[in-house]
Amino acid sequence: VSRRGIRLLAVIAALSLVAAVPAAAQAKKIITISGSTSVFPLETQLARAWIKTKKGKKYGFRILQGGSNVGISDVAKGRVSIGASSRDPANGDPGGLVFTKIARDAICIITHPSNHLGNITAATIKNIFVGPTFTNWTQVPGAPISGSIDPIGRAPTSGTHDAFRNIFLGGTNQSSPPVQAKASNGLVQQGVQSDPDAIGYVSLAFTSGVNVVNYNGVACTLRNAASFQYGGVRSFYFVTRGAPVGGVKKFISWTLHNKKANNIIGSDWVPLH
Amino acid sequence: MRRRSGLQKAGPRNRTDQRAELLLGALACVVLVLIAGMIVFVFAKAWPSFSHNGFDWFSPWAGGNVDEELTNIFESPANPSQFVYTMHAWPLIYSTALITLGAIVIGTGFALLSAMFIVEFAPPALQKVLEPVVRLLAAVPSVIYGLIGILVIVPFVGNHLITQGAKDSVAGVIGLSGASWGVGVLILTVMITPIMIAIVVDALRAVPIGWREGSVSLGVNRWRALWTVSVRAARPAIVAAAVLATARALGEAIMLSMVTGSVGFAPNPLDGVIFFVEPARPLAATIVDNAEGLSVAPFEQTLYAFASVLLVSAAFLSFGGWYIRRRLRRYTLSPI
Repeated sequence: VSRRGIRLLAVIAALSLVAAVPAAAQAKKIITISGSTSVFPLETQLARAWIKTKKGKKYGFRILQGGSNVGISDVAKGRVSIGASSRDPANGDPGGLVFTKIARDAICIITHPSNHLGNITAATIKNIFVGPTFTNWTQVPGAPISGSIDPIGRAPTSGTHDAFRNIFLGGTNQSSPPVQAKASNGLVQQGVQSDPDAIGYVSLAFTSGVNVVNYNGVACTLRNAASFQYGGVRSFYFVTRGAPVGGVKKFISWTLHNKKANNIIGSDWVPLH
Repeated sequence: MRRRSGLQKAGPRNRTDQRAELLLGALACVVLVLIAGMIVFVFAKAWPSFSHNGFDWFSPWAGGNVDEELTNIFESPANPSQFVYTMHAWPLIYSTALITLGAIVIGTGFALLSAMFIVEFAPPALQKVLEPVVRLLAAVPSVIYGLIGILVIVPFVGNHLITQGAKDSVAGVIGLSGASWGVGVLILTVMITPIMIAIVVDALRAVPIGWREGSVSLGVNRWRALWTVSVRAARPAIVAAAVLATARALGEAIMLSMVTGSVGFAPNPLDGVIFFVEPARPLAATIVDNAEGLSVAPFEQTLYAFASVLLVSAAFLSFGGWYIRRRLRRYTLSPI
């Protein structure tokens, strides 16, 4: 390292010391969260609001993404205080975990914008994604287009796949192939957007630029999901190792009972009550 | 090389040199230990998946649906004695081989011809532009190629090249949406060719000028001199370039996960033209797509099994490349 480099390093070190002092003086306890990319926007907003409250003042947050299963595995191994999950508890989950339901989210069935399919029933979805029995749009009641169907779904490890299977397919697995198993909501949305024959399923937040199909006669909207009219609703969870304690307990109970938290959840998701 | 070692012998051993030697030696040893540790770790993790399936893991005749198997492994009960391990990975191995070979064969041809053009035929002004551009292209991150693929090429192939009749003929078995191994090969070729061009250009330049001048003075035209003398002498470098590019192609995950269709399907050459637009999913892309499932023990072990296959392939590739280069060097005096 040249002398100039050393000087630069010294300056950087001094600056970072200055920056670190006020943070260290307050000595906040850090709550760490990792997990579902679907829950991420919600948990960040909740954490931001909570640290402004009287109880939350003493705490800081470190929030990472990675997917529901990453969050569950992290919290089971004690790497984080809260794992965020967008799927229900499963057989293979490590023991001793407590799933606390914090909100609901809708899963929408989407098609290409040129395919103005108005409504789809649970039976039709099953015929398209399992088997498949329906391979042409002419077999789908009410479909305005003809041509073979390109079903697009998620990889078996995703929380959205799990929810789709349990809610829309009655517990049976999608048949892949032909169902493409994409790695994220965004890739499904993009795939449906660029293929006139496609049909897919995504979280409510990923429905711009595509045709959102009514499920069993009910539109996939926040209001319908909140009023329990829409059937395709899944839950978001905060997962802890054992029952939550300390700051984590305070944060979760604030999330569940505080009016402000309820408003945050209600802005883009469905509150529990 | 010779001159430097002569210098070293002349004077007493320099302290700084000695320290540098120790430090660099230690670093090299650390790298070796890291690599060995990584190989042992990956294989130890992967072993249950191989031992439960035996030869069926690799066998083209084992049958079964890879995606179903992955789902079943992911949903294994929590009790270790009930873990599900059944995995017949042939479609993934086959897709990996198909896409890698396709890209390497096309890419090597392209790279050789472009390198010859840059070195011998391009006007100096064009040469000055071409070379930096090629080197820049070699450094573009793969996710950018993936985005171009998924936003432009896949929809184009799906909406304009594949006919409704073709889609109907395989409806219910696979979807022909444009996302396919053919598109994967196309983009992968674009990704790996610049690296090969850069290496081959350097090699062609390094061929002693006298060799080519000699043949030209005997009345051979430029093309023949280049082809029979320079390219021949640069063969070890061409092999080295191909090996490097194959390694990159084998491990390419993000771009292929985006454009190859995301289904564990083995494209069938007997399907005719449709074959080229059939979906597939190579090993590396499978790992990326399913990395979320690492929390489930048998699933993690299966993903490590995919990784170990890639690791072994890369090792064989290196050794194979080294052996071919050694054989070729007997006939040339290539400096590379």
